[in-house]
Amino acid sequence: MRSLGRYLLVRTLLTIPMIFVLVTLVFLILRVMPGDPVKSSIRPGAPQEYIDEIRHSLGLDKPLYVQYGEYLWDLLHLDLGTTLSPVRGQSVAKQIWDHFPATLELALAGMLVTALVGVGMGAYAAHHRRSAADYSLRLYAIIIYAIPVFWLGLMFQLVFGVWLGWFPIAGRISNLAAAPTHITGLYTVDSLLTGNWAAFKDSMMHLALPALTLGLYLSGVFVRLTRSNMLQVLKMDFITAARARGIPERTVVYRHALKNALIPIITMMGLQFALLLAGAVLTESTFSWPGLGRFLVERITYRDFPSIQGAVVVFALLVASVSLLVDILYALIDPRIRY
Amino acid sequence: MSKTKKPREEPTSVLGRLLRGAYWYGAEWYWTVTGGILLVLIIAITIFAPVLSPYDPTVTVGGPFERPGGGQVVLLAPKGSGITGLQKGLKVATFYNTTASIVAEKMHLTARHYQVDKDLFAKVRAGEADAVLISARKAAEALKKNPDFVQVGKPFGPHFILGTDNLGRDILSRLIWGARAVLAVAILSALFSAAIGVPLGLLSGFFGGWFDRVLSLIMDSIYSFPGLILAIAVAAVLGTGVVNIAIAISVVYIPTYFRMTRSQVLSIKEELYVEAARALGAKRHEILGMYIFPNVISTLVVVFSLNVADAILTEAGLAFLGLGLQPPTPDWGFDLNKGKAYLPRGYWWPITFPGLMITLVALGFSLLGEGLGELLNPRLTEE
Repeated sequence: MRSLGRYLLVRTLLTIPMIFVLVTLVFLILRVMPGDPVKSSIRPGAPQEYIDEIRHSLGLDKPLYVQYGEYLWDLLHLDLGTTLSPVRGQSVAKQIWDHFPATLELALAGMLVTALVGVGMGAYAAHHRRSAADYSLRLYAIIIYAIPVFWLGLMFQLVFGVWLGWFPIAGRISNLAAAPTHITGLYTVDSLLTGNWAAFKDSMMHLALPALTLGLYLSGVFVRLTRSNMLQVLKMDFITAARARGIPERTVVYRHALKNALIPIITMMGLQFALLLAGAVLTESTFSWPGLGRFLVERITYRDFPSIQGAVVVFALLVASVSLLVDILYALIDPRIRY
Repeated sequence: MSKTKKPREEPTSVLGRLLRGAYWYGAEWYWTVTGGILLVLIIAITIFAPVLSPYDPTVTVGGPFERPGGGQVVLLAPKGSGITGLQKGLKVATFYNTTASIVAEKMHLTARHYQVDKDLFAKVRAGEADAVLISARKAAEALKKNPDFVQVGKPFGPHFILGTDNLGRDILSRLIWGARAVLAVAILSALFSAAIGVPLGLLSGFFGGWFDRVLSLIMDSIYSFPGLILAIAVAAVLGTGVVNIAIAISVVYIPTYFRMTRSQVLSIKEELYVEAARALGAKRHEILGMYIFPNVISTLVVVFSLNVADAILTEAGLAFLGLGLQPPTPDWGFDLNKGKAYLPRGYWWPITFPGLMITLVALGFSLLGEGLGELLNPRLTEE
C-alpha cells in the first residue's frame, strides 16, 4: 500500500533505532573508553574523597549497565544532568536551551548564503558545461572545501573587520543591554518583530561575517550537487520539448530545469546538516558566537563532563530530527516517494 | 563521463592513461597532476624538515611578532667613537624583548635592555652603553632623529622570512615541522579507519543477514553524525598526543570505508567471474580475498586520498579548538588558535601562513583523490 501516512509512520519509526544507536555511541565514548573524565577535570593532587564525591554525584561508581539504564531513563525525561564547573549544579538542559537560538540563527543564515551562492553557481556551471566558467566553478568547489572554515573566518575578520573596519569580529550584538526582547531568541528576527531598528542593524552586522564564512564553506558541496542534478535534469525529455517549443534557453535552464533539480537538493541539504553543525562549531569559536558549539568547546576546557555529554547528545538528536524532517518534506513535495 | 573526443582505444595501464592524460581526460588530469605535485612537495618538506627549517621551531629566536622578512639588526654608534663593528667588551643598549636584545644575548655581548619608552640614544650619550643595537627596519628612522649617530657595519642577525609568532618563534620553521605532525596524524588516522572499516565492510557485504543489518545501522548512524563533534567527544576523553588524536579522528571515518567497501562488495559479488569461481569450488575466504578484495582496491585508493584530506581538516579543527597535540609540538591548527587572540591588533602573519599550509595539503589530497577517481573509475565520481 503506497500512502503518505504509512510512509510518514515508517520513516518516523526508523528514526528511533538511529537515535538509540547515536545516544548509545555517546555513552560508550564518554563512559566506557579508556580515560577518566572526572580525573582529568580535577587538578592533580586533589584529595581522593573529593574525586569519589564527584564520581558518586555523577553515578560513575555504579556498574556500567546501571549507568547506561539511568542515562537512557534520564534522556527519555529530557534530563541532561547538572554542571560540574565552572559553576556546579546548574541544569545542563537549561544552559543548552539558552545557547541554542544563537546556533540556530547562525545555521539558518549560513544555509541562506549557501543556497544563494552554491545553487546559483552550480546552475550556472551546468548551463555552461565544459566552459572555462564550469571548470573554474568545479575547482572553486574543491578549493573552498579544502580551506579550513575557521581560517576562512579568521581571514574575513582580518580583512573586513580589522583592516577595512566594516564589520565587528566577535559576538552577536555590541551591547547586551540593547538586545531585543526575547521572543524567538534570534536577535535579527526578534528586533524585526519588535521594530527595534538599531538592534536589527547591529545584529545583522554581527551576523554578516560568521554567516558568510559558514555559507561559503558549505557552498562548495552545493555547487557540485546542483551541477550534477542540473545536468541530469537537462538531459530529460521535457527540457528538449521546452527547447523545441522555442522557449528561451535561459528560461529553460533557470526556470524549468532548476525547479526540478531543486527537489533532490533539498534532501541533500538535510544530509549536509551534519556538515553545517560541524562548521558551526568552528565558526562559533572563531567569532566568539555564543552558541551551542562554543558552549561545548568552552565546557571541554572546564572539563565539565555532564555538559559535554549533554551537548553531544543534543547535536545527535538535532541531526536525527532534521534528517527525519527533510525526508517528510521530500515526501510531501514528491508524490513518488512512498513505501 | 562522456568526452567530446572519445578515443577508440584507451590505454589500459594507469601510467599510460596518466601520460596521455590531458588530451583525453581534460581538466581532471591537471587536477591529478597538481595534487600530485603538491603532495610531493609536502612530503619532501616533511622528510627534509631538519635541513629546510632555519631555526628550532619550539625555541624563542627573536622578538615577538617580528614582521615577515624582518629580524635583522644593526649597530648604531656615536660619530667619531671609533667603533668599527662588534668587538670584545662592547656594551650595547637594546629594547627589552626584541630581536636585538635576543641577538645580543645569543652573541654574548655585554648588553643592557630597556623598556620600549626609554630613549636608547640618551643612554649611550650618558655613557651607560657604547652603541645601540636596533632592528634594521627601524634604523633609518632612528638615525634621522639622532644625526650624531652612524650605522657601523652591515645588518646582521637572524632573518625571519615569514616573521615570528607571539613567543618569538620562527613561523617558517614551525610551518615546516608542523607538516610532519599533521601528516602523521592524518595518515595514521586514515590507516586506522581503513584497517577497521574495510574488513567490516567486506564481511558485512559478503555475508549479509542480521550481522549486515545491525552493522549497517550502526555505521549509518555514525556516518550521519557531525564528524568533528564526534572527534571532539573522543579527544576530550582520550586527551592529547599524536596517537590519541589519530584515534579520535579515525572513529569518525570508519563508516566512510565501511560503506564504500560494502557497496562495492554487493555489486562485485554478483559478477560472473565470482560466480564462476564459486562454481569451481573456491572457498568463501578465497572468493573474498582473491576475487572481491582486489577489485575494491582502486576505489579504496581514491577514498583514502579524499579521506586524508578530511582527516587533515578535522585535525586542524581539533587543534584550533585546543584539542590537538601537546603544545611544544608545532601544529598549524594550534598556531591559528594562539594567533587568533592577536588578530585584532593587526598581526596578520601568525594566522595567515599556517592556514595556507592546511589548505594546500588538504587541497593536494583532494585534487589527487578527485583526479584519480576520474581516471581509475570514471563512474565513481559524479558527472
